[in-house]
Parts: sequence; C-alpha cells; structure tokens
Amino acid sequence: MPIPNNKQLPTPPRWANQFLQWYCRQDLLEEIQGDAYELYYRTVKKNKWRADLEFTWNVIRFFRIKNIRKSKKGEHPQLYAAMLKNILLVSFRNFWRQPGHSLLNVAGLSVSFACAFLILLWVVYEFSFDKFHEDTDQLFSVITHVEADGAAQSYPVASASIDISSIPEGEKVVTVSTGSRWPHVLCFKPEVENSECIYLSGVYSNENLFSVFKFEIAEGDPNPLGKPDQIVISEKMANLIFKNQNVVGKTFQVDNRAEMTIVAVMKDIPTNSSLQFDFAMPFAFLQKEWGIDENRMKNNFFNTYIKTNVKIDAATLTDKLNTESVVTKELKEQKVNYQALPLKDWRLKSHFEGGQQLSGRLEYVVLFIVIGTLLVVIAVINFINMTTARATTRAKEIGVRKVTGAYRSGIIFQFVGESFLIVLISVVLAILMAQLSLPSFRSLLGEEINLDLISGALPLYVFGFLLLVSLLAGLYPAFVLSSFQPVKVLKNQFPAAVTGSHRLRKALLMIQLSASIGIIIFSAVLYQQLNFIIEKNLGFDRSNMIRLEPTANLFRKFDVFKNELSKNPDILGAASSNMNPLQADGGNTGVEWPGKSKEQRVVFKTIACSYEFPETFGLKILDGRNFLAHTLDSVQTEVVLSEEAVKVMNLTHPIGQTIYIGGSPCVIIGVTNDFHTESLHSSRQPVILYRADYMNTSGVYIKYLPGTTSSSLATVVNAYKTIEPHYSMKYWFQDDTFDQLYKTEITAARLVLVFTIITFIISVMGIAGLATYNVLRRTKEIGIRRVFGASIVQVLKLLTNEFSFVLLFAIFVAAPATWYATDKWLAGFAYRIAMPWWIYATTFTCIGLTVIVIICMQGFKTVTTNPTKTLRNE
Amino acid sequence: MKGTYLGELEELVLLMVGVLYPEAYGVAVMDELGVQAGRTLNISAVHAVLTRLEDKGFLKSKMSEPTEERGGRRKRIFVLTASGKRSLEEANEMRNQLFNQIPKVALQYSY
Repeated sequence: MPIPNNKQLPTPPRWANQFLQWYCRQDLLEEIQGDAYELYYRTVKKNKWRADLEFTWNVIRFFRIKNIRKSKKGEHPQLYAAMLKNILLVSFRNFWRQPGHSLLNVAGLSVSFACAFLILLWVVYEFSFDKFHEDTDQLFSVITHVEADGAAQSYPVASASIDISSIPEGEKVVTVSTGSRWPHVLCFKPEVENSECIYLSGVYSNENLFSVFKFEIAEGDPNPLGKPDQIVISEKMANLIFKNQNVVGKTFQVDNRAEMTIVAVMKDIPTNSSLQFDFAMPFAFLQKEWGIDENRMKNNFFNTYIKTNVKIDAATLTDKLNTESVVTKELKEQKVNYQALPLKDWRLKSHFEGGQQLSGRLEYVVLFIVIGTLLVVIAVINFINMTTARATTRAKEIGVRKVTGAYRSGIIFQFVGESFLIVLISVVLAILMAQLSLPSFRSLLGEEINLDLISGALPLYVFGFLLLVSLLAGLYPAFVLSSFQPVKVLKNQFPAAVTGSHRLRKALLMIQLSASIGIIIFSAVLYQQLNFIIEKNLGFDRSNMIRLEPTANLFRKFDVFKNELSKNPDILGAASSNMNPLQADGGNTGVEWPGKSKEQRVVFKTIACSYEFPETFGLKILDGRNFLAHTLDSVQTEVVLSEEAVKVMNLTHPIGQTIYIGGSPCVIIGVTNDFHTESLHSSRQPVILYRADYMNTSGVYIKYLPGTTSSSLATVVNAYKTIEPHYSMKYWFQDDTFDQLYKTEITAARLVLVFTIITFIISVMGIAGLATYNVLRRTKEIGIRRVFGASIVQVLKLLTNEFSFVLLFAIFVAAPATWYATDKWLAGFAYRIAMPWWIYATTFTCIGLTVIVIICMQGFKTVTTNPTKTLRNE
Repeated sequence: MKGTYLGELEELVLLMVGVLYPEAYGVAVMDELGVQAGRTLNISAVHAVLTRLEDKGFLKSKMSEPTEERGGRRKRIFVLTASGKRSLEEANEMRNQLFNQIPKVALQYSY
C-alpha cells in the first residue's frame, strides 16, 4: 500500500484521529478516515490551523449512531439492560433490608469524607498562597541572617542598600516597608462629618510594587508610586473613607502631614497573598514621617523582593546575593548573609530558627493531610470490613446468579456498583455537610479565607476520589464473592476465601486501631504542650494589661494622661517601651561591655522603655535599684540588665559598670529576673532595658486590677480622649496578643481535637459492626458451649480473645510511630514538656477497654439467650 | 414505504453520482454539490445520504484502489443501480408532467 513517506507531510491532530479510530465501525473506518484525510490534506496546504480545526469538526460530525462501532456484547442489548435493572434493584433492596447497617456505613463514610473535603479545601488554600502573581517562579524574597556567637538570627528583610545591578538575572527589586503600627497603620477620617477615624494598614514601596506583583489596578495610573506625593488605595478603603467611587485624582491630607494625590484605586488584595495592605505610598512619605535623611534611610532594613528575568534556582540566587557588590562591605563585616527564598514558599516554609530553615506552617499542613488520609482510611476500612462480613449472607444469591448464567465479570460489576452507590450517596452527603459546616470551619481556622467546594479543579479531584474509594472498597469483596463456586455455596459449604477474608478483616482492624491510637495520642500531646506554653511563667506579667498605640501628642502630655488614669484606683500603672516584651522582634549585636573579646558577638534584646516599665510589668529587681523618675541624663543613660545578660557579659559586680549600646555609654543600675521576649519556640535571650524618653518609645502599656476590664478600659479611653479628641484609640489586650503568638498551634489543636473525636467515633462504629457480625457468626458455637456448661464470663473471654491479639499488635505498631512524630513536633519548641508516658498508658487502656466493652455488650445478649433457642432453628 | 420515496437532497446526490460516473465517492460528491448546486454540506452529511441511498438499493458500491491523497486508503466508489436509474427517471418524468400541467396563465407575469 503506497503510504505517503514524505516526512514533512503534516498530520491531523492525533487525539482526534484516535477518537475516530476508537468509535468508528471497522467496515466504515477506511472510507470515512480516507475522506477526512483527503479534505485535510487539501486544506492543510493553505492553512494548517484551519485544517486541524476542520478535521476535528469532521470527526465530531461523523460521530453518528450509524457509524459507531457496536460493542461485542451488543447482540443482546435488552438482556444487559434487564441485568443492569436487576442489579440496581438488588442493590436498593440490600440497602433497605438492613437499614441500620447501611445507614451506619453511609454515616461513617460521609462524615469522614466531609472532614477530608474540608481539609482538602484548606490545604488547597494554603498552597495557593502568593501563586496568583505572574511568573511566580521568578519572584524571590530576601531573608537576612545575622551570625552571632554560635547562633544566627534571621529576619525577613534586607538592607535598603541592597544593589542587584551586578546580578544579570535580577530584573527588578521591590522594597516594601510593612508594619503593624504607625506609620504603617494610619487613621483616616471618612469624609462624612463627625465620624471617628478608621485605622487602615498600608505599605511604603517603590514604583516596582505594582509591576512586579499582580495587585490589579481597578482604575487610574497602572504604574503608580513614581512621584513622592502619590498614594494608591484599595477599593475597600475608597468605599470606607470616600464613599463615592470617583476618587482618582483626589488630593487629601494623610496623617496631618502632607497632601497626597490618589493616582490609582487597586482591587482589594486577595486573601491568599502574604502581602496585605489597603494603601501604598512612596518611601519619601515614610522618610518624612520618620524625619530622617536619605543616608539614614539607606541603613534601614525592609522587606525586599527580587524579580528575576529567567527561572533561577534559589540556591544560585542566594550565592549571587552574597557577593560583596550586593551586600556591601560594611554589612559583610557585620556577618550579614542573604538568602533568596522563593516567594511561593513564603507562606509555608519561612520559619527560621538559628539560621536554619524549618518547615514552619508546612508541618501543620502535612499533619492535616495525614489526619485526613487516616480518617478516610479508617472509614473505608470500616466499609470493607462490613461488606466482606456480610458477604456470607449473600453467598446464595451469587450461587443462584452463577447457576442461571451470570459471568464472573457481571458479579464483580455488581458488587463494585453497589459500593459505588453507597460511596456516591456518602460523597453527596459529605459535600452537603462540608458546605454546611464551612462557616464554622472558617471561624475555627480564624481566618477570612475563601473556601469554595466547586471551584477550579476541585470537582475533578472529588470525582476521582469517589471512583478510587468505591473501587478500593468494592474490588476486594467483589473478587472474593464472585469466586464462590455455586455448587458449594448452594450446599452451604463456604469456601476458604471467606475464612481468609476474616484474617484480612483483622489486619484491617489493626490498621484502623493503630491509626486511631496515633491520632488520639498526638492530639493529647499537642494539648499538653499548648497548656504548658500558656501557663508557663514568662518572667513578667502579661495578663490584665492593655497596650495602646500612642500619638506624639500623647507622649508630650504623658503626665496629664497618667494623671487622668490615676483617678481610677483600679489602674495600677502605665509605662511605655519601643517593643512589646511578648514579641520583641530583632536583636542587637552592637553591645560592648568591659572585658568583651573582639570576636565575641552576642545578640541582645535591647528594649527602650520609660522608668515605669519594670514595675508595670512586674519584673523583680534582684540587685541594684529600679529606674527613677528623674529627668534623663543627656550624656549617659541608665540600663537594667536581665540575669542572663549579666551572665553573658560575665560581670561579677554589674552595678555601676558602663556598657556601650551602639557606641553610646550606659550605666548599669540594676539587675532584673530573666524573662522571655519571643514565642517559646525560641530560647530566652539576654535583655537590656534602657531608659528612654517617651518620644523614643512606641507603645503604651496600662496595667489594671483583675476583673475591672471594662471600667478600666473606659477610663483609658476617656483619658485618651482628653488629649486626642480627634483620634479613636487603637488598643489591644496583651492576652490576645499572646494568643496571636500561638495562633497556628491553637488553631491546629482545636482542629485536631475535632478530628480526633470523629476518628474515635468512626473507629468505634467499625469495631461495633465487626463485633456484631462475629457474634452472629458464632451463635451456634456459643449455644453448644453453653450447653456443655461454659460460664458467661468464659464465653465472653473467648469472644474478646480473638481481638486482644489485634489490639496488642495495633499498640505495638502505633506506639513507636506516634512517639517519633510527637517528639519531632515537640523539638520545634525551645521549651517543651517531657514525653508524657501517662498519655500513652491511658490511651492504650482506654482503647482496650472500649474494644472489650463493645465486644462484651454485643456478645452478652447472645450469650445469655437460652441455648435451646439458638440451636433449635433449622 | 421505504425505497420508493426520494427526498430532494437524495435526488440531488443521486444525480451527482450519475454525473460523476465512474469516479463518484464521498468527497467528490460533496465538491460537485458545491459547484453545481451551490449546496455546501459537511462530508458526514454526504456520507449519511450515500449510505441511505445504498440501503434503499438506488446505489451500489465497491472499494477502489488505494490512493495517495488519502494516506493510502481506498475510496468507496458509488454507481447507480437499475432501480436508482428508474427512480431518477420517474422523478424527472413526474416533474415534467406536472410542470406541463401548469396553466399557461399562471406563468404569465404581466401584472
């Protein structure tokens, strides 16, 4: 046959051709394909694209009943329809014959599926972070590691002086200054008369912000922030502050400082972006707010993002960032190292400890993927166990089907179909449940996240999952049942496969039990550790304290403010500092003390504070004296050290010694007890408190008597109003801030608790089902044993014995695995509980007791029945 | 009854098969329909008509030699059968007869 051997000859789309070959009747294929090809070759000379399109269209048009290949079994289509109808009918009858059993199955499956769906949604959401930008693979953020003796500190920022012009791959740099307080959080007065101002948070950046990141501009200049007086606001802010949408070109005063022009309104930033802001202004404004010059600005560290023009390895970029031309010689000497972190890893893998990248949030995502999978596995095992256990009751049906001429494939199809039916019902119920519990799930997560079950590729996953589970659950029973030999089955002789499947059921039960044991222990340990953290003495008092955002005016009249506060006897004190001791960011390596060696580099937490600080926070002065209320010495200031700091400096008589912070002299006047300045993930650090002017601090802390929260807060608000009548007070409770520190852990603990309960219930359901079946199977045996004089206890022992081995084995498997996992999790905390033995012991005992109680409960009724009744029938 | 009635498109296709003798196959018929009758049809539609006519016994077919422009595939060549020829004649005759019966007046467009 002369086949065109010209290699250059174009061919029609392969899949279309394959589709044609697949459906087309063999005897018609040649002419149909021939005609299609002829037309294709004719058009392709003019236009390949058009030819492809026409070919595909023709293939679709040829898809007619007349041309479609008949299936081999097509000779008796009516027979197959009847068979299908019968199978469906039998499935439904079976479903309703034991409604309790079927509903139990469906309930177990659907609850676990619903949990799995919720977890899936959350995981998809977590992984979608920062991936909406164009060329996400080419976006990196820069992490700074500062080495100090032994350890390193990591910060998600880089120096403003970073210069990537020597890196050929580097295309653009975006420097973004973010923060959670002034000047990043500003109060904007809505244009309506007499309304309180609204706090909104924003960023300061350069003109690359909107070209590198995909924050869509709704209207106005698509490339804003080029000029110093420009501001970009979000649609939310435009609505809140200006009510009317037509704000582009409008000029208004920001923070009582400068007239800014709105050059663009951007769409609200998607929730799955790590960078969140409502307005963006150029750095010039920040410089003005801080009142510093260009050079000092260059010394600052900001969030820095790099866009490369080609795809590049993060490690390669890291190497290139650490050349002297990028880091600057000065910073190199201070042992500053940069690391390029892909932006898409920012959300899940940006947790650094001692210079090492830890997986951080990813750990929790993985944890929940594991829990979700285990949950589904447990439920599916339940389903398989129950189905195979019931197989014997259907053996006769299969026998009859086979005798009347059913193929084996038909019977397999029937059982897979039946499990598909149940799984389908469960999935539909699960989707409903998941959708209904979505709001509570959202509040449990404590995040304003967008969760949508029917978006993107999710329905596809769900369908794939449906098929997979129903195949998994249906295939084994189907193969076992369809292998029955009708002669034996109809004569009531059960084949070895049924006993074999009994062994399999036990193995599955073991997996199920060990999974539940693992989840239960893990969640108990999680709770223990969280309790430990929350109740751990931080070294200072964090409860009954309000932190409020000061204004310059407030500090100027701080005495008046304090005076107002002191009118209420419930208010115990007020102090100010530049860092919240709950979460003091950063560290200072520029501290010099007598006897310090040249190479020694130690990170201190240096906290600028007012003289009331130690007293207000309940710090104990162990040596020397507290700060005094006298006016500040302009030459040297006073410092109070923590014990740890004294130890690090190796000072025997610290009081009266002079140390230098960043070159300026300070005299040590006192020593206080140690206290934590960060979350307990990291270890305690030496602290230096130095006396500072109110103006150089950034937060006011007010301590009040326990139980007077609302009245004290009212006093504070009133005092604030006397000084700042035009501003609304921005404040936080220290306890809330503390919770925020462990938000991930607290959320995880809550979720784990919920899933643990569900796991436990489903497992119990499975064990109960299996125990019932087991007793049913051995009814006659029990009867005979009773006749021969076995006591109730003896028979119950016999029934439980069968499971005790399974239970022991499950414990044997679960214990080391859980031990490893929990230990690894606890290692992420610098302060952790010892591995709690008693949790293991209690869990094992509880699970064991539960299993035994369930078996005995199920067995008791049968055992106590008069044996004559059980033995008489048939 | 099936076999006696000839649809308009069927008649056209039947005519084309006659015109194209002995080279009448799917694509050729489709092209000819386009050129001669101004009817652009999808190739699958032409196929459907051709097979229907074959079922009715107006056409018979055989496979040709393999040809290169079809990637080495054979064509199905259609030819008129006797009954096909007769039904064409009948249709033609009936049309003429009926046309002749139209009163001359009806064809005078003098208004």
